[in-house]
Amino acid sequence: MAKRRPRGTLGCSPPSKVFVMDETVAEFIKRTVLRIPRSETAKILTTWQFLSENQLQTLNIHQVKENVAEEVLQLCKENCATMKHAADLDIIYNYTYRDKKLWAVYQMIRGEGDENDFFDLVKFKKKFKETLQATLKNVSITFKEYEDNAIWIRVAWGTTLTKPNQYKPSYVVYHSQTPYIFMSISRRKSCMPMLCQALLVATSYRDIHEMDLRSHCLDSLKDIVFKRYSQNFQTHHPRPLQEKNSTLENVDPRIIQEDKHKKEKILKITRETFGDGPQPKLEFAEYKLETTFRSEQKGILNNKEPFRCMVKFSSPHLLEALKSLAPAGVADAPLSPLLTCITQKARNYFKIRERKGALSESLPSH
Amino acid sequence: MIRSPGTPGNSTPRRGRAKAIKWDSVCLSVLSFSSQAAPVKMGEAAGSLQDSILSHLERLEAKAHKAALERGEVRKHKEDVALMKSRIQELKRQRDELRTKLSACRSVLAGREDAPKRDSRTPQATRARQQALLEWKMEGAKGLLQVFHLTGLSGRLTKEGACLCISTAFEGTYLDTYHLDLLIQQPIRIQRHSVPSFIPLKEIAQEYLQTNIRRFLSVLSDHLNAYAGRKFQANQLQERFPAFLEGGLQGNSLYNLLEFNYGVTGEGGNFPFMAKLTYGDPVSILPTEATVVCKEDAPASSGEVAAAHSALFHKRPLPGVFSAITATTETLNHSAS
Repeated sequence: MAKRRPRGTLGCSPPSKVFVMDETVAEFIKRTVLRIPRSETAKILTTWQFLSENQLQTLNIHQVKENVAEEVLQLCKENCATMKHAADLDIIYNYTYRDKKLWAVYQMIRGEGDENDFFDLVKFKKKFKETLQATLKNVSITFKEYEDNAIWIRVAWGTTLTKPNQYKPSYVVYHSQTPYIFMSISRRKSCMPMLCQALLVATSYRDIHEMDLRSHCLDSLKDIVFKRYSQNFQTHHPRPLQEKNSTLENVDPRIIQEDKHKKEKILKITRETFGDGPQPKLEFAEYKLETTFRSEQKGILNNKEPFRCMVKFSSPHLLEALKSLAPAGVADAPLSPLLTCITQKARNYFKIRERKGALSESLPSH
Repeated sequence: MIRSPGTPGNSTPRRGRAKAIKWDSVCLSVLSFSSQAAPVKMGEAAGSLQDSILSHLERLEAKAHKAALERGEVRKHKEDVALMKSRIQELKRQRDELRTKLSACRSVLAGREDAPKRDSRTPQATRARQQALLEWKMEGAKGLLQVFHLTGLSGRLTKEGACLCISTAFEGTYLDTYHLDLLIQQPIRIQRHSVPSFIPLKEIAQEYLQTNIRRFLSVLSDHLNAYAGRKFQANQLQERFPAFLEGGLQGNSLYNLLEFNYGVTGEGGNFPFMAKLTYGDPVSILPTEATVVCKEDAPASSGEVAAAHSALFHKRPLPGVFSAITATTETLNHSAS
């Protein structure tokens, strides 16, 4: 399964029984191994399942990383590694460190009468590959399935003249039988239409559009979109009381809380809005305002033109921060519905236009 | 120069002394004795008379002034007293008013009881009985709600509509619950829900929500229960019979297409069968199609075994199939040995 030799790199080497690993493959594997932090090297290499147990044991991780990479390369040469294996390693690395990328969510729309009940993985892969390779010959596509029914697709793009650039691939995560696609945002916008087309054909959907929901934390995006976060529904069965209710607060009888009722009310409203459990992790929310400027003194600005500005809230964990605004006293409870609707509407890019009877939010045109 | 009027014998005032230097002291002393009567004497006693009149007038003036002051004080005192009295009257009136109100309230509260003899009961006993009655009612209501919850479909009215709760279960184990917030308007809308996206909620809602809510709920409940049941079966299989499976279970999000390789012996290495289960009916927990294929290097007798297994897959849920397989294998081993 030797990879097709690139033109002119190795000269005219005879078709030998000795496997000579492709230089690009070797370089790629080396660079990927160098990227892995030392503490995780053993784990990731074990997950790769390309090197055997014995080989892994002979590997000495506690040396300089360059040497580790060299040793791994040597072992890969023994095992006849190809680009496929290298791409596999790359997917494993990016799955482990998936929070380093910025992910965007796309939603697919089903055509009428197209209830595709049986998702066949083999057919999906085949169709995807065929569609993509029909438009562009030089792509390398790798699939990997994970336990939560997630299919990771790695696509390395090349042009008609150049080989696929393995260092800037696109990653797509798809959960079967859901209309949602998670794509890592790359600078290459030109590949997007082809990728979307291939996905639509492979999954038998009709159309795809971006959902204005972006974050670094892929799991949180999945939680929001699959509605796995804790929404506060009113039921007759209250959930078991959280730990914090029963912890002993410092009961100093000399301290009287003057606004105890108010605080409890604020906590109750916050709980109703945000639910009890942990919030999904988003990093920012962006609001593009196109409303006219309103002030108490008339005539500060000419009120006919909309006042365009953008408000961006960013935080390491935006929703938890919003949840703690009211209890901390920084904002009034209940918070503005523009802030609290983020998880329910599954978006963190908003465009707010002038009120024509109702506040209209629309998809911004990217 | 005010002299107290009640001192007639005080005939040697300082003032008199001063005058005695200038006039006849006899006249003065006479005049001083007759100071009360104050006869007007003309002549050489005119000057002294004038003086004494003046002093007398002064004394009278002083007396009058003092009397006026006292009268004023008395009047003021009387006014104060009158004011205080009126205030007391007012407060008494208010007190009586509040008393009547209190007794009226008490009588109304007591009047809510059906017992005829209100007066003999103490307020504490009344309150305790009411408390007990309320608690009993609440227990009853809670029990009823629990019963509804156990049926799998329960709900609660909210401000704008209703929040429905669908609980799923499989063979005695309670699994996840899913919620739906409905807005009761024309047309009925689903405001938000926690149903996973691979359940065809939109299609079911389109078909049944406006016309027949009961049917909508039962269909949705069937879908959710079946999905939860299939998922539970797959997880149980992986948990309870890991030695029989080669690798993992390959499925999809809806758990209606499962593929796995398995063997009949607990010892590893021998996984001659490949099974593919298709659950065609979204509301059923048993597969509609079960194909078991032997691998190429399997012994010939495996074909029959495969067919038997295939039939088993149709009839029982997955963990049940595998426990049956292990049971037959054991009996075979026992019979063989």
